Amino acid sequence: MIEFTLDGQTVAAEDDELIVHAAARHGVFIPTLCHDDKLAPYGGCRMCIVGVEGAPRPMPACATRVREGMVISTNGSTDMYRRVLTEMLLAEHLDANPGGRPNELTDLAAELGASAPFLLPDAKREQYDDRNKLMGYEPDACILCARCVRYTQEVMQCSALSLEGRGGHARIVPTWGKSWLDTECELCGGCLSVCPTGAIFEKFLNGAPPDHENTLRKVQSTCTFCGVGCRVDLNVDPATNRIVKVTSDPSYVSNDGNLCVKGRFSFNFVHHPDRLTEPLVRGEDGLLHPTTWEHALQVAAVGLKGVIARHSAQAVGILASARLTNEENYLIQKLARTAVGTNSVHSCEAT
Amino acid sequence: MDVLRLTTLLPELPTERTHLLDNLGRARREIGPITPDLSDAIADHMGIRRGEVHEVVSFYSFLQVPASVYRVCTGPICDCFGAHELLEGLEGALEVPCLGHCDLAPVATNGDTILPRGEDRPVTHSANHGPVLDLGQADETLADYERRGGLAALRAVPTAEKIVEELKAAGLSGFGGAGFPTGLKWESLLQSPAPRVLAVNADEGEPGTIKDRYILELRPHLMLEGALIAMRALDCPEGYIYLREEYATARPRIETALSELAQAGLLDGLRLELVVGAGAYIAGEETAMLESMEGRRAMPRLKPPFPTQVGHLARPTLINNVETLAHVPAIVANGGAWWAGLGKNGAQGTRLWSVSGAVAKPGCYEAPNGIALRELIEDHAGGLTDEVGAIVPGGAASGILPPAALDAVLTRDGLREYGAGVGSAAVQVFPKNYSVLRLLGETMRFFAEESCQKCTPCRIGNRAIHHLAERLEEGEAVMSRARLDEWLETMERTSICGLGQAAPIPVRNAMAHWPELFAPLDLVSVGSER
Repeated sequence: MIEFTLDGQTVAAEDDELIVHAAARHGVFIPTLCHDDKLAPYGGCRMCIVGVEGAPRPMPACATRVREGMVISTNGSTDMYRRVLTEMLLAEHLDANPGGRPNELTDLAAELGASAPFLLPDAKREQYDDRNKLMGYEPDACILCARCVRYTQEVMQCSALSLEGRGGHARIVPTWGKSWLDTECELCGGCLSVCPTGAIFEKFLNGAPPDHENTLRKVQSTCTFCGVGCRVDLNVDPATNRIVKVTSDPSYVSNDGNLCVKGRFSFNFVHHPDRLTEPLVRGEDGLLHPTTWEHALQVAAVGLKGVIARHSAQAVGILASARLTNEENYLIQKLARTAVGTNSVHSCEAT
Repeated sequence: MDVLRLTTLLPELPTERTHLLDNLGRARREIGPITPDLSDAIADHMGIRRGEVHEVVSFYSFLQVPASVYRVCTGPICDCFGAHELLEGLEGALEVPCLGHCDLAPVATNGDTILPRGEDRPVTHSANHGPVLDLGQADETLADYERRGGLAALRAVPTAEKIVEELKAAGLSGFGGAGFPTGLKWESLLQSPAPRVLAVNADEGEPGTIKDRYILELRPHLMLEGALIAMRALDCPEGYIYLREEYATARPRIETALSELAQAGLLDGLRLELVVGAGAYIAGEETAMLESMEGRRAMPRLKPPFPTQVGHLARPTLINNVETLAHVPAIVANGGAWWAGLGKNGAQGTRLWSVSGAVAKPGCYEAPNGIALRELIEDHAGGLTDEVGAIVPGGAASGILPPAALDAVLTRDGLREYGAGVGSAAVQVFPKNYSVLRLLGETMRFFAEESCQKCTPCRIGNRAIHHLAERLEEGEAVMSRARLDEWLETMERTSICGLGQAAPIPVRNAMAHWPELFAPLDLVSVGSER
């Protein structure tokens, strides 16, 4: 542990901790736009600059580590810089809400009372339309923080997005401007989840009102697609009581907030009319009839016990669904080996 | 794309990422402009993700255009001397920032051929017999160089400590523009563990600056001897010379000189290689140059750590400008005190002054540090040819001086009252009929286009000021004075590298020396801008 001074108070921090983290633990929130804890420090947007005594100019809190005895001020002239940087970003921010996602830049602008004095004559970027059905991208909402590109490179290790060109011509675009479907992209939507302005968005929410995001109810659940068991938030629209999207928080231990294309985008089955929602047992008439869980389990148990009595336990094999979690798979083999007494247990888990 | 040629070329391309720029440059010359397919093929061959190669290809200006395309310099001096007429006359020509041939303005290039005033004729030099570099006479061979006293210092390299002492006594400061004391830089490198790396910054791109090109074309061994002294004294077994792509005449000169040195056994135990850029002013920023040499977009790194601590491939690296190294052999041979004594008006030593614009003999002259502007123009550059409108003393970011500054002494102190600096000592004299707002606008356009885009204040601030200058020419203001002041301060204080940090200097100079041009700023108030 080391000690440093934060806005006049002596406080403690881990050695080598980023200023932005150390300050947050002491109740001082430093706004950031290009920073993401999953990614290597970048220091591009400059929104998080703080005064550091002895340094020739303000330093980015997202990329500077605290040192013993450091004297840091988060107010003073940096307030003006933060407002001006916001004004600058707004001067090329033509579309604040393409897909109904939250926008950290406009939120910050409202908080700081910043507005664009004018729009840059070259602010308009080439439009991009992708034929995939899941993700949309509006270049005019992009602030070039490159979180999406860095996410694809540092976390997903794939080639889906590129930071192209330089100066005023710089833009973020799927590699070589192709469709995402023609790059290495697996449509996991990770780029979308780290975008601070909603420039990359779920296509099926296109046109949602700007305040839509805040009305959604988040229901915590576990993804049902494979054994990893990623923790997810099912975002339910209270007006229709339907899931409208799936998100995951970076604090979730099993998956760090990362999801795959299935976990993020394939939730429509929940509302499918053919989906099983109650146990069914086949009757004498040969048709399936709704019943209670208790009755259904009893029918299954009787059937299994009959097979064991007639042919021995080794005649029973248990095939577990690929959509069970790791823990459920554990329970299945326990059931097979101890309750049934068979070694014939398998899962088609292959994701 | 010539697929057959590609299949024979690919196996010849090394796969280390440090060779990416080189490989792309070779593919462009031997196959054609880098298309998405060609880029992907090289990415797959080198085992680099395709998207990252796309990023690199699109960052540099020349990789996606044919090698044979006409490029016309529209840097401020060429703009002033008819670049746009030249541009219109050459079909399909590409507009490029300063090509570093301002003494021959307006200049164009076609492939590796330089076209002074747009014509196919030899590149000439106008230089003088200075006491240290003596560019008045070119060396044809290493033997020429040795005959004139060269290699003496390299044949008896003193200890690093002794050289640092002499560099400090000389008061030698980097000639690239930032002016960091060379002795201190060498000393700080010594505090990092060996083996270390030397990187020679030959990415001269500051508009108006032609001095490194003069050295490399006339006396390349001067720089190479300085580089080898540094490598031997500072335990740098590996060295690189990062040369801007546009310096096509200098390229073979360096290559020949390197092979001469190798034949003479002077490279034994050392590896000194030429790395050629691909068109990006920002690659001249030292950490951006490292990124470029490592095969990435030339985006400056956050400092600290400094290159002397964490440099090329994370190793301690000394980065010196061509001219800085060219002075080293003489300082080692004759002592720091001797060199310091060559200065005047309280300054030390000599340096090369690139002089262009409205003077009789545009060129590159070795003259004392501390020389007065008028003396430089009259004694060396043949005097003025026109009534002076404005003078840029040392590259785009050094400032813009009014005619009254003709009597100023060209030192940091001498230019302080004008809010300007000596920068890279590239004196550009603009005639009265060239509008100051045009000069400012073109300067800001240059910064805006050459910004690496990473940080907000540089990417957006420079475009905003360019917009402001263009509208001011029509007598309109797009922002109030109060807001402009805030934006300039934010650019200066929060930009990552020198590009954004220094860009406000010419704006503030223009506001101070030509206040009438900025009067429209007072007609709008904060919040009422459009």
